[in-house]
Order: sequence, then C-alpha cells, then structure tokens
Amino acid sequence: MSGRPRDAVSLVAGVAIIGLGALLLLDSLHEIDLRFAYLAPAVTATAGAILLARGLSRSRGR
Amino acid sequence: MIDPMGVPANVAAPTGVRRIRRDPDGGLVAGVCAGIAERVGIDPIIVRLAFVAAALFSGAGLVVYALAWIFLPVGEGGTVGARFRARRGSLEIVGGAGLLVLSAALLLRALGWWVSDAVVWPAVAAAVGGALIWRQFIGPSGDLAVADESRPADVERPAAPFLGGGGLSKVGVGVALVLGAALMFLWANGALNAAGDAVLAAVVVVVALGLILAPLWWRLGRSLAAERGERIRSQERAELGAHLHDSVLQTLALVQRRAENPREVASLARRQERELRAWLLDRPSTRAGESLAAALEAAAAEVEDSHGGAIEVVTVGDCPLDPDAAAVLGAAREAILNAAKFAGDAGPIDAFAEMGPERIEVFVRDRGAGFDPDAVPEDRQGVRESIIGRMERHGGRAAVRAGAGGGTEVELSLERVRT
Repeated sequence: MSGRPRDAVSLVAGVAIIGLGALLLLDSLHEIDLRFAYLAPAVTATAGAILLARGLSRSRGR
Repeated sequence: MIDPMGVPANVAAPTGVRRIRRDPDGGLVAGVCAGIAERVGIDPIIVRLAFVAAALFSGAGLVVYALAWIFLPVGEGGTVGARFRARRGSLEIVGGAGLLVLSAALLLRALGWWVSDAVVWPAVAAAVGGALIWRQFIGPSGDLAVADESRPADVERPAAPFLGGGGLSKVGVGVALVLGAALMFLWANGALNAAGDAVLAAVVVVVALGLILAPLWWRLGRSLAAERGERIRSQERAELGAHLHDSVLQTLALVQRRAENPREVASLARRQERELRAWLLDRPSTRAGESLAAALEAAAAEVEDSHGGAIEVVTVGDCPLDPDAAAVLGAAREAILNAAKFAGDAGPIDAFAEMGPERIEVFVRDRGAGFDPDAVPEDRQGVRESIIGRMERHGGRAAVRAGAGGGTEVELSLERVRT
C-alpha cells in the first residue's frame, strides 16, 4: 500500500485460487457437495481468469 | 538479477539445478510434457501418457497440466520460440477467454440449463476448427497474408501459410475438427442411420464445406482486389509518365531550343504551368464555349501567349456562357488585353471573377503607371466601347479606376436575370 505498483496478474490469480480453495474447503467440511460437474468449471474458470489477466497485462505492456 | 536459487538469470544454471521450462516448439499443446521430458531426460510420449492417464482417472491430469501451463516459464527455443513469445499475450488472451467460456458451458450443463450435448459440443468443435482455418489464411489484423517484398529473403515467415509445415498442420487440425463436428452432429442426431435424413446430412456437409472453403474464397477475393489495385497503380504511373513526357519534357526541350528569346521562354513556361496546374487540380475539361470560367481562363491564356507577361486568373463559381456572360467575357478580355499591352512588363496581371446565379463580377488589376479614362481621345474605342459600352448595353456596369497600390483596376458587374 506504499505506492508499490499493483500486479494485476497476481491479484487475479490470488483471488481466483482463494475462491477455488474456499470451495474445496467447504466441500471437505461437507458444507457443500462439490461434484466433478461443478469442480471442473471452477478449475477451468480459475485457469481462464489467470491466463486472461496475464495476456491482457502482457499486451498492455507491449 | 538473481533468481530464488541464487543463480543470475542471464547465466545458464548448472544441469543439476536446472528448472523445468515449457517447450512450446517441441510440444503438442503448451509444451509442458516436452519440457518435463527434456528436464527428466525421458521420451515426451511417456510423460504425455502419464498425463492422459491422470486426466482419465480423476481429472487431476488436466488440473496439473493447466497449472503447469500457467506457472512454468518458457524455455529458449530459437527463432520459432521467439515468435511464440511475441505472440504469447494474444494466445493467453484467447486461451483464457476460451477456458472461461468452457467453464460457463460446463456450469450451465451441470445446472441443467443446456440445449443438448449433440448440438453444443459439435458447434464448439466446428467453431474452433473454423477459427484455426481462418487464422491460417487471414492475418491477425484481418489482412491477407501476402509476401512482403521489403523483408529480407532470409527471414523465416509464413508468406504462404497453407504451404508451410506448421500452417498445413493447423489447417489439417481445423479441417478435421470441422468435419468431426459435422459427423458428430449427424451421428448424435441419428442422421447417419436414416436415409430419410439425407437432406439434413447434405445440408450439414455443405455448411461444413462452406466453413472450410470460405477462407479460400475470401483469400481469392482479396487477392483479386490486391491485384486490381496494383494494376490501377501501375496504369496511373504509366499515365503520369506519358503526361510528363508529352507536356513537361516537350516544353523543356522547346525552352532549350529557344533560350535566346526570354519572352518566348517565359510564355512557354506560363503555358506549361497553367496546363500542369489544371492537370494536378484535376479540373473537369469544360470547353471554353460552354462555361464563363473556362472561357475567361482561355482568353487570359491567349492574351498571355500573344503579349507575354503573367496573368493570374482566379475564378469562383461558374455560369453558362449565355449572351450576358459573353458580354462580360468580351469586356474582361479587352481589359486584360489593355493591361497586357500597357502594363504587362510592370508585373503580373490579376483577374478575379466571381460568378453566381444572380451576379457576375470581374476585376482586372495591373501594376502599370495607370491612366485617366477621361483623358483618352474620342477616337480610341477600346475602353469606352469595348468595355464600358458593351457592359451598359447588357445592363451591366464598368468602372475604371486607379488601383490601391498603383496601376489600374477595371471592375465589371452584371446582374443576371433569373429565367
């Protein structure tokens, strides 16, 4: 917070992976029933968000 | 810069502590398996089989592969690798967007908001295949991929992507995806088993062929347009060359031959200048008998040729050369002629004409010594009859006065009768 440039890619990746981890934790605690049909979109969305953030960051930096 | 292992980034690390790097040039998808195999020192096919097995059992193979794709750095791979890195941002955007779309599709499917597997997946496969084919024929910016002659010949470049090895394989994958999607769709809908659905099958095949051939047609059309543009440019160059030869070069030859006569040389130069200006400004070739502006310019050119000196004609608007306009033309020509006769050597003569639907105004100015119209003898009819009298007979007015900066100014004005 002291004027350091924010790394958007790390931010997106962190938030996405925290979200994925929260889902897995809730599943382990039997709060939700995370079947593969729901896990697969979550994983692909995480990977997609990170890739997209990296690609956009790279193209803006060119 | 020092990496976490304490090895300078620009120094090759020893073999024992080498990091795993992706090898997109040697890989099938993102080079993860090829990179691991290169690091471990085994055949990449073994790593690929391990990933496929892991993916089939629990899906973990896909997750690990995706994470490795994201987090593993790309290894150095020569010119192809450099090209890949240059395009990496675009590929990541496409890949990320594709994964998000896939995620949304999978989620909708899990929630039951789904059309049908028999429709969606063939459509997705056809879209990906079509995109691959288009990509090989049409450049990233939408331009046709054509050879750039300005580039050195030794630069490796897919000038004809369809013929290149990589391009051919991508087109092949695209064609296979589109055909596979079509067959998948037909099979899932039972059309392949029922002869009665032959029409549906034909339609689907035609659509698939259209997807495949559309880029070819597109490329053909763009090639024809590019060829036509080049032909037009070539014709324009030839026309420019011919015009320069017929006009400027001929005039220059005349100037050389008549160098001893400055007056004639000046006249030739002025004529050429007029002609070249008209050509450069792309003025319509109006005949002097139809338009007052054209007739005025022709009269000024004629006087200039016969008496020498420079006459600058500026016209605003135009009107047909009816009897009233012809009277103004005659008076203006007389004024220009007088200026050329008596003040041609004093500097350029200006003729300004404004021609509107209601009014015609012409001003002729010279830079001579000037004269008193009342002092002109009675037997000299030039100003009195050819200018003033002519204008008055047609309902107009002519005024001769001393110019602001010396010389003489003749003003002609005529109100036009609307018909």
